[in-house]
Amino acid sequence: MHLSDQELLLGLDGELSSRDAGRVTAHLAECWTCRARQQEIGKAIADFVRLPNAPLPPAEGPRALLRAQMSQNRSGKDQNWTLMAGICALLMVGLCIGQFWSQATRVVVTVPDPKLTPGATVLLSSGEVCSASNANNKAVPVGLRRKVFEEYGIAHAEPRFYEVDYLITPALGGADDIHNLWPQSNSDTVWNAQVKDDLEDHLRALVCAGKLDLATAQREIAGNWIDAYKKYFHTDRPRNRD
Amino acid sequence: MADARTGIGVYAGIAANKAPSALEREVVEQFDLMRERLLRYLLGFGLTAQDSEEIVQETFLALFQHLQRGRSRRNLRGWLFRVAHNLGLRKRQRMRATEEVGDSVIDPAPNPEDQCAISQTERRLLAVLRALPEQDRRCLSLRAEGLRYREIAEVLDMSLGAVSIALTRSLARIARSAER
Repeated sequence: MHLSDQELLLGLDGELSSRDAGRVTAHLAECWTCRARQQEIGKAIADFVRLPNAPLPPAEGPRALLRAQMSQNRSGKDQNWTLMAGICALLMVGLCIGQFWSQATRVVVTVPDPKLTPGATVLLSSGEVCSASNANNKAVPVGLRRKVFEEYGIAHAEPRFYEVDYLITPALGGADDIHNLWPQSNSDTVWNAQVKDDLEDHLRALVCAGKLDLATAQREIAGNWIDAYKKYFHTDRPRNRD
Repeated sequence: MADARTGIGVYAGIAANKAPSALEREVVEQFDLMRERLLRYLLGFGLTAQDSEEIVQETFLALFQHLQRGRSRRNLRGWLFRVAHNLGLRKRQRMRATEEVGDSVIDPAPNPEDQCAISQTERRLLAVLRALPEQDRRCLSLRAEGLRYREIAEVLDMSLGAVSIALTRSLARIARSAER
Protein backbone atom coordinates (compact mmCIF):
# COMPACT_ATOMS: atom_id res chain seq x y z
CA MET A 1 0.00 0.00 0.00
CA HIS A 2 1.58 3.29 -1.10
CA LEU A 3 1.42 6.67 0.61
CA SER A 4 -0.99 9.25 -0.79
CA ASP A 5 0.24 12.46 -2.44
CA GLN A 6 -1.23 14.33 0.50
CA GLU A 7 0.81 12.34 3.01
CA LEU A 8 3.94 12.81 0.91
CA LEU A 9 3.39 16.59 0.74
CA LEU A 10 2.56 16.90 4.43
CA GLY A 11 5.75 14.97 5.12
CA LEU A 12 7.78 17.33 2.91
CA ASP A 13 6.22 20.38 4.56
CA GLY A 14 6.76 19.11 8.11
CA GLU A 15 3.02 19.19 8.74
CA LEU A 16 2.59 15.60 9.99
CA SER A 17 2.16 14.67 13.63
CA SER A 18 5.27 13.01 15.05
CA ARG A 19 3.56 9.60 14.94
CA ASP A 20 2.53 9.97 11.29
CA ALA A 21 5.92 11.45 10.41
CA GLY A 22 7.59 8.33 11.82
CA ARG A 23 5.28 6.07 9.82
CA VAL A 24 5.87 8.01 6.58
CA THR A 25 9.65 8.05 7.06
CA ALA A 26 9.68 4.31 7.71
CA HIS A 27 7.59 3.69 4.59
CA LEU A 28 9.79 5.91 2.42
CA ALA A 29 12.88 4.04 3.58
CA GLU A 30 11.42 0.88 2.08
CA CYS A 31 9.44 2.13 -0.92
CA TRP A 32 11.16 3.44 -4.04
CA THR A 33 7.86 4.25 -5.71
CA CYS A 34 6.78 6.61 -2.93
CA ARG A 35 10.24 8.14 -2.73
CA ALA A 36 10.20 8.86 -6.44
CA ARG A 37 6.72 10.34 -6.16
CA GLN A 38 7.80 12.56 -3.30
CA GLN A 39 10.69 13.79 -5.43
CA GLU A 40 8.24 14.65 -8.21
CA ILE A 41 6.19 16.68 -5.75
CA GLY A 42 9.37 18.36 -4.53
CA LYS A 43 10.26 19.21 -8.12
CA ALA A 44 6.80 20.73 -8.69
CA ILE A 45 7.41 22.94 -5.64
CA ALA A 46 10.83 23.92 -7.00
CA ASP A 47 9.34 24.74 -10.42
CA PHE A 48 6.73 26.95 -8.80
CA VAL A 49 9.06 28.90 -6.54
CA ARG A 50 11.58 29.40 -9.35
CA LEU A 51 9.09 31.25 -11.55
CA PRO A 52 10.44 34.75 -12.17
CA ASN A 53 8.66 37.54 -10.35
CA ALA A 54 7.62 40.94 -11.58
CA PRO A 55 9.93 43.80 -10.52
CA LEU A 56 8.39 45.99 -7.85
CA PRO A 57 8.71 49.73 -7.35
CA PRO A 58 11.28 50.81 -4.74
CA ALA A 59 10.13 50.95 -1.12
CA GLU A 60 11.42 54.44 -0.26
CA GLY A 61 8.33 56.42 -1.28
CA PRO A 62 5.78 54.05 0.28
CA ARG A 63 7.91 53.81 3.43
CA ALA A 64 8.03 57.62 3.74
CA LEU A 65 4.28 57.79 3.26
CA LEU A 66 3.69 55.19 5.96
CA ARG A 67 5.93 57.12 8.36
CA ALA A 68 4.07 60.35 7.65
CA GLN A 69 0.70 58.69 8.14
CA MET A 70 1.73 57.07 11.43
CA SER A 71 3.18 60.36 12.60
CA GLN A 72 -0.04 62.15 11.74
CA ASN A 73 -2.05 59.46 13.47
CA ARG A 74 0.09 59.92 16.60
CA SER A 75 0.11 63.70 16.63
CA GLY A 76 -3.60 64.37 16.40
CA LYS A 77 -5.73 66.70 14.35
CA ASP A 78 -3.79 69.93 14.75
CA GLN A 79 -0.73 68.75 12.85
CA ASN A 80 -1.66 70.04 9.43
CA TRP A 81 1.92 69.92 8.24
CA THR A 82 2.02 66.14 8.58
CA LEU A 83 -1.16 65.89 6.59
CA MET A 84 0.42 68.05 3.90
CA ALA A 85 3.57 65.93 4.01
CA GLY A 86 1.43 62.83 3.70
CA ILE A 87 -0.44 64.21 0.71
CA CYS A 88 2.83 65.27 -0.95
CA ALA A 89 4.36 61.86 -0.28
CA LEU A 90 1.24 60.17 -1.63
CA LEU A 91 1.42 62.21 -4.81
CA MET A 92 5.11 61.45 -5.20
CA VAL A 93 4.54 57.76 -4.58
CA GLY A 94 1.73 57.74 -7.12
CA LEU A 95 3.92 59.44 -9.69
CA CYS A 96 6.89 57.16 -9.03
CA ILE A 97 4.84 54.00 -9.12
CA GLY A 98 2.99 55.10 -12.24
CA GLN A 99 6.26 55.90 -13.97
CA PHE A 100 7.89 52.69 -12.79
CA TRP A 101 5.09 50.45 -13.97
CA SER A 102 4.65 52.34 -17.17
CA GLN A 103 8.33 51.87 -18.04
CA ALA A 104 8.67 48.37 -16.65
CA THR A 105 5.69 47.15 -18.58
CA ARG A 106 6.22 48.87 -21.89
CA VAL A 107 7.42 46.39 -24.44
CA VAL A 108 7.32 47.04 -28.12
CA VAL A 109 5.45 44.31 -29.98
CA THR A 110 5.54 44.66 -33.75
CA VAL A 111 4.91 41.07 -34.84
CA PRO A 112 2.88 38.44 -33.02
CA ASP A 113 4.37 35.34 -31.46
CA PRO A 114 3.37 32.60 -33.94
CA LYS A 115 2.95 30.09 -31.12
CA LEU A 116 0.46 32.30 -29.31
CA THR A 117 -1.12 33.94 -32.35
CA PRO A 118 -0.96 31.66 -35.38
CA GLY A 119 -4.09 33.34 -36.80
CA ALA A 120 -7.58 31.86 -37.05
CA THR A 121 -10.29 32.26 -39.64
CA VAL A 122 -13.96 31.57 -40.08
CA LEU A 123 -15.21 29.76 -43.17
CA LEU A 124 -16.26 32.52 -45.53
CA SER A 125 -16.02 32.92 -49.27
CA SER A 126 -14.48 36.02 -50.76
CA GLY A 127 -17.98 36.99 -51.90
CA GLU A 128 -19.25 36.86 -48.33
CA VAL A 129 -16.22 38.80 -47.07
CA CYS A 130 -16.68 41.52 -49.64
CA SER A 131 -20.43 41.83 -49.22
CA ALA A 132 -20.12 42.33 -45.45
CA SER A 133 -21.62 45.72 -44.81
CA ASN A 134 -19.33 46.57 -41.89
CA ALA A 135 -15.71 45.86 -42.69
CA ASN A 136 -14.43 47.45 -39.51
CA ASN A 137 -12.97 45.30 -36.74
CA LYS A 138 -15.32 44.97 -33.83
CA ALA A 139 -14.06 45.86 -30.37
CA VAL A 140 -12.33 43.05 -28.49
CA PRO A 141 -14.11 42.35 -25.17
CA VAL A 142 -12.26 43.52 -22.03
CA GLY A 143 -11.88 39.98 -20.62
CA LEU A 144 -10.37 38.69 -23.85
CA ARG A 145 -8.06 41.72 -24.09
CA ARG A 146 -6.80 40.98 -20.60
CA LYS A 147 -6.15 37.35 -21.52
CA VAL A 148 -4.12 38.42 -24.56
CA PHE A 149 -2.02 40.73 -22.36
CA GLU A 150 -1.46 37.88 -19.92
CA GLU A 151 -0.44 35.46 -22.67
CA TYR A 152 2.12 37.94 -23.94
CA GLY A 153 3.45 38.49 -20.43
CA ILE A 154 2.42 42.14 -20.25
CA ALA A 155 -0.46 41.74 -17.82
CA HIS A 156 0.49 44.95 -16.02
CA ALA A 157 1.18 47.03 -19.11
CA GLU A 158 -0.57 50.30 -19.82
CA PRO A 159 -3.39 49.38 -22.24
CA ARG A 160 -3.09 52.73 -24.00
CA PHE A 161 0.29 51.73 -25.48
CA TYR A 162 -1.21 48.75 -27.29
CA GLU A 163 -4.01 47.89 -29.60
CA VAL A 164 -5.24 44.33 -29.17
CA ASP A 165 -5.49 43.61 -32.85
CA TYR A 166 -6.76 40.79 -35.00
CA LEU A 167 -3.85 39.18 -36.83
CA ILE A 168 -6.17 38.27 -39.70
CA THR A 169 -8.70 41.06 -39.71
CA PRO A 170 -12.38 40.00 -39.63
CA ALA A 171 -12.68 42.07 -42.80
CA LEU A 172 -10.62 39.28 -44.40
CA GLY A 173 -12.42 36.44 -42.61
CA GLY A 174 -10.36 36.49 -39.40
CA ALA A 175 -11.95 34.80 -36.38
CA ASP A 176 -12.91 36.32 -33.07
CA ASP A 177 -10.54 33.97 -31.26
CA ILE A 178 -7.60 34.41 -28.90
CA HIS A 179 -5.36 32.63 -31.42
CA ASN A 180 -6.06 35.48 -33.78
CA LEU A 181 -5.40 38.32 -31.32
CA TRP A 182 -2.18 40.00 -30.24
CA PRO A 183 -1.15 43.21 -28.47
CA GLN A 184 0.32 45.49 -31.11
CA SER A 185 2.24 48.60 -30.11
CA ASN A 186 0.11 51.39 -31.44
CA SER A 187 2.51 54.21 -32.00
CA ASP A 188 5.99 53.45 -30.71
CA THR A 189 7.31 51.79 -33.77
CA VAL A 190 7.50 52.39 -37.48
CA TRP A 191 5.52 49.19 -38.06
CA ASN A 192 2.58 50.08 -35.88
CA ALA A 193 -1.13 49.29 -35.79
CA GLN A 194 -2.08 52.05 -38.23
CA VAL A 195 0.36 50.69 -40.81
CA LYS A 196 -1.14 47.23 -40.48
CA ASP A 197 -4.63 48.70 -40.93
CA ASP A 198 -3.40 50.16 -44.21
CA LEU A 199 -2.25 46.72 -45.37
CA GLU A 200 -5.56 45.15 -44.33
CA ASP A 201 -7.52 47.69 -46.36
CA HIS A 202 -5.28 47.13 -49.36
CA LEU A 203 -5.50 43.33 -49.23
CA ARG A 204 -9.27 43.46 -48.88
CA ALA A 205 -9.49 45.78 -51.87
CA LEU A 206 -7.37 43.32 -53.89
CA VAL A 207 -9.53 40.37 -52.79
CA CYS A 208 -12.75 42.18 -53.59
CA ALA A 209 -11.39 43.27 -56.96
CA GLY A 210 -10.64 39.62 -57.76
CA LYS A 211 -6.89 40.26 -57.95
CA LEU A 212 -5.99 38.10 -54.96
CA ASP A 213 -7.69 35.04 -53.53
CA LEU A 214 -8.89 35.19 -49.96
CA ALA A 215 -6.84 32.25 -48.67
CA THR A 216 -3.61 33.80 -49.98
CA ALA A 217 -4.44 37.14 -48.38
CA GLN A 218 -5.11 35.40 -45.05
CA ARG A 219 -1.90 33.35 -45.31
CA GLU A 220 0.22 36.36 -46.21
CA ILE A 221 -1.00 38.50 -43.33
CA ALA A 222 -0.79 35.64 -40.80
CA GLY A 223 2.73 34.69 -41.95
CA ASN A 224 4.51 38.00 -41.47
CA TRP A 225 2.43 41.09 -41.99
CA ILE A 226 5.47 43.35 -42.38
CA ASP A 227 6.83 41.21 -45.21
CA ALA A 228 3.34 41.20 -46.74
CA TYR A 229 3.21 44.99 -46.52
CA LYS A 230 6.57 45.33 -48.29
CA LYS A 231 5.47 42.87 -50.95
CA TYR A 232 2.06 44.36 -51.70
CA PHE A 233 3.07 48.01 -51.43
CA HIS A 234 6.47 47.47 -53.11
CA THR A 235 8.25 49.45 -50.42
CA ASP A 236 10.65 48.82 -47.57
CA ARG A 237 9.02 51.34 -45.25
CA PRO A 238 5.47 52.35 -44.45
CA ARG A 239 4.04 54.70 -47.03
CA ASN A 240 2.71 58.09 -46.11
CA ARG A 241 -1.09 57.89 -46.01
CA ASP A 242 -1.67 61.64 -45.97
CA MET B 1 8.18 88.48 9.53
CA ALA B 2 8.94 85.87 12.17
CA ASP B 3 11.97 86.42 14.34
CA ALA B 4 14.80 83.94 14.35
CA ARG B 5 13.85 82.46 17.71
CA THR B 6 10.29 81.76 16.58
CA GLY B 7 11.56 80.21 13.37
CA ILE B 8 13.95 77.96 15.25
CA GLY B 9 11.21 77.04 17.69
CA VAL B 10 8.82 75.94 14.94
CA TYR B 11 11.51 73.92 13.23
CA ALA B 12 12.47 72.22 16.51
CA GLY B 13 8.82 71.42 17.15
CA ILE B 14 8.49 69.74 13.77
CA ALA B 15 11.71 67.80 14.36
CA ALA B 16 10.45 66.58 17.70
CA ASN B 17 7.18 65.44 16.13
CA LYS B 18 9.06 63.72 13.34
CA ALA B 19 11.11 61.56 15.67
CA PRO B 20 9.50 58.15 15.23
CA SER B 21 8.34 56.28 18.28
CA ALA B 22 9.54 52.77 19.05
CA LEU B 23 6.20 51.49 17.79
CA GLU B 24 6.56 53.35 14.50
CA ARG B 25 10.06 51.95 14.08
CA GLU B 26 8.72 48.46 14.71
CA VAL B 27 5.99 48.90 12.08
CA VAL B 28 8.52 50.24 9.56
CA GLU B 29 10.71 47.20 10.24
CA GLN B 30 7.76 44.94 9.51
CA PHE B 31 7.03 47.02 6.41
CA ASP B 32 10.57 46.50 5.11
CA LEU B 33 10.27 42.79 5.80
CA MET B 34 6.83 42.17 4.40
CA ARG B 35 5.95 44.86 1.83
CA GLU B 36 7.18 43.01 -1.25
CA ARG B 37 5.59 39.75 -0.19
CA LEU B 38 2.22 41.37 0.42
CA LEU B 39 2.49 43.33 -2.81
CA ARG B 40 3.12 40.17 -4.84
CA TYR B 41 0.27 38.42 -3.11
CA LEU B 42 -2.09 41.30 -3.91
CA LEU B 43 -0.97 41.50 -7.53
CA GLY B 44 -2.18 37.91 -7.74
CA PHE B 45 -5.69 39.24 -7.13
CA GLY B 46 -5.53 40.99 -10.49
CA LEU B 47 -5.29 44.39 -8.80
CA THR B 48 -3.21 47.15 -10.32
CA ALA B 49 0.19 47.98 -8.83
CA GLN B 50 -1.15 51.27 -7.49
CA ASP B 51 -4.14 49.65 -5.83
CA SER B 52 -1.94 46.93 -4.35
CA GLU B 53 0.47 49.53 -2.96
CA GLU B 54 -2.43 51.44 -1.41
CA ILE B 55 -3.72 48.29 0.24
CA VAL B 56 -0.27 47.55 1.63
CA GLN B 57 -0.24 51.06 3.14
CA GLU B 58 -3.67 50.49 4.63
CA THR B 59 -2.56 47.14 6.02
CA PHE B 60 0.44 48.62 7.83
CA LEU B 61 -1.60 51.51 9.17
CA ALA B 62 -4.01 48.91 10.53
CA LEU B 63 -1.03 47.12 12.08
CA PHE B 64 0.10 50.38 13.67
CA GLN B 65 -3.34 50.92 15.19
CA HIS B 66 -3.57 47.27 16.22
CA LEU B 67 -0.31 47.51 18.15
CA GLN B 68 -1.14 50.99 19.46
CA ARG B 69 -4.17 49.47 21.16
CA GLY B 70 -1.90 46.94 22.84
CA ARG B 71 -3.28 43.97 20.89
CA SER B 72 -1.45 40.66 20.39
CA ARG B 73 1.88 40.47 18.58
CA ARG B 74 1.45 36.76 18.01
CA ASN B 75 1.98 35.71 14.40
CA LEU B 76 2.11 39.17 12.86
CA ARG B 77 3.03 37.68 9.48
CA GLY B 78 -0.25 35.75 9.32
CA TRP B 79 -2.12 38.78 10.64
CA LEU B 80 -0.70 41.00 7.87
CA PHE B 81 -1.59 38.53 5.14
CA ARG B 82 -5.10 38.16 6.54
CA VAL B 83 -5.73 41.92 6.62
CA ALA B 84 -4.22 42.42 3.16
CA HIS B 85 -6.25 39.50 1.82
CA ASN B 86 -9.53 40.92 3.15
CA LEU B 87 -8.76 44.42 1.87
CA GLY B 88 -7.74 42.95 -1.50
CA LEU B 89 -10.99 41.01 -1.76
CA ARG B 90 -13.01 44.09 -0.89
CA LYS B 91 -11.17 46.18 -3.46
CA ARG B 92 -11.70 43.59 -6.12
CA GLN B 93 -15.39 43.36 -5.41
CA ARG B 94 -15.64 47.12 -5.87
CA MET B 95 -13.65 46.91 -9.11
CA ARG B 96 -15.85 44.10 -10.41
CA ALA B 97 -18.91 46.17 -9.67
CA THR B 98 -17.51 48.82 -11.99
CA GLU B 99 -16.09 46.21 -14.41
CA GLU B 100 -12.53 47.36 -14.02
CA VAL B 101 -11.27 43.83 -13.63
CA GLY B 102 -11.73 40.74 -15.78
CA ASP B 103 -12.82 37.32 -14.60
CA SER B 104 -9.45 35.70 -14.63
CA VAL B 105 -6.85 36.49 -12.06
CA ILE B 106 -3.27 35.43 -12.39
CA ASP B 107 -0.26 35.22 -10.20
CA PRO B 108 2.16 38.11 -10.48
CA ALA B 109 3.65 37.85 -13.91
CA PRO B 110 7.32 38.22 -14.61
CA ASN B 111 8.30 41.56 -16.06
CA PRO B 112 7.87 41.77 -19.81
CA GLU B 113 11.58 41.87 -20.56
CA ASP B 114 11.99 38.62 -18.69
CA GLN B 115 8.85 37.26 -20.25
CA CYS B 116 10.35 37.62 -23.69
CA ALA B 117 13.03 35.20 -22.59
CA ILE B 118 11.02 32.87 -20.37
CA SER B 119 11.35 29.26 -21.19
CA GLN B 120 8.77 26.93 -22.57
CA THR B 121 8.64 25.26 -19.16
CA GLU B 122 7.79 28.54 -17.46
CA ARG B 123 5.12 29.31 -20.04
CA ARG B 124 3.62 25.87 -19.45
CA LEU B 125 3.75 26.37 -15.71
CA LEU B 126 2.06 29.77 -15.93
CA ALA B 127 -0.70 28.20 -18.02
CA VAL B 128 -1.20 25.51 -15.35
CA LEU B 129 -1.33 28.16 -12.62
CA ARG B 130 -3.86 30.23 -14.55
CA ALA B 131 -6.09 27.17 -14.85
CA LEU B 132 -6.05 26.48 -11.11
CA PRO B 133 -9.02 27.49 -8.95
CA GLU B 134 -8.32 30.87 -7.35
CA GLN B 135 -8.32 29.52 -3.81
CA ASP B 136 -5.80 26.79 -4.72
CA ARG B 137 -3.55 29.41 -6.28
CA ARG B 138 -3.71 31.52 -3.14
CA CYS B 139 -2.81 28.51 -0.99
CA LEU B 140 0.24 27.96 -3.19
CA SER B 141 1.27 31.63 -3.00
CA LEU B 142 0.93 31.75 0.76
CA ARG B 143 2.81 28.48 1.20
CA ALA B 144 5.56 29.86 -1.04
CA GLU B 145 5.69 32.87 1.31
CA GLY B 146 6.51 30.46 4.11
CA LEU B 147 3.15 30.32 5.87
CA ARG B 148 2.32 27.13 7.74
CA TYR B 149 -0.89 25.33 6.83
CA ARG B 150 -2.63 26.61 9.96
CA GLU B 151 -1.73 30.21 9.05
CA ILE B 152 -2.95 29.72 5.46
CA ALA B 153 -6.21 28.30 6.81
CA GLU B 154 -6.67 31.41 8.96
CA VAL B 155 -5.88 33.87 6.16
CA LEU B 156 -8.18 32.18 3.67
CA ASP B 157 -10.80 31.11 6.20
CA MET B 158 -10.54 27.46 5.23
CA SER B 159 -10.15 24.26 7.20
CA LEU B 160 -6.70 22.78 7.67
CA GLY B 161 -7.72 19.74 5.63
CA ALA B 162 -8.94 21.92 2.77
CA VAL B 163 -5.56 23.70 2.64
CA SER B 164 -3.74 20.41 2.49
CA ILE B 165 -6.05 19.08 -0.24
CA ALA B 166 -5.73 22.30 -2.28
CA LEU B 167 -1.94 22.22 -2.12
CA THR B 168 -1.76 18.53 -3.00
CA ARG B 169 -4.12 19.03 -5.93
CA SER B 170 -2.19 22.02 -7.29
CA LEU B 171 1.22 20.39 -7.00
CA ALA B 172 -0.08 17.20 -8.60
CA ARG B 173 -1.25 19.29 -11.57
CA ILE B 174 2.11 21.01 -11.84
CA ALA B 175 3.90 17.65 -11.63
CA ARG B 176 1.56 16.17 -14.26
CA SER B 177 2.19 19.03 -16.64
CA ALA B 178 5.94 18.41 -16.34
CA GLU B 179 5.45 14.78 -17.39
CA ARG B 180 3.88 15.79 -20.72
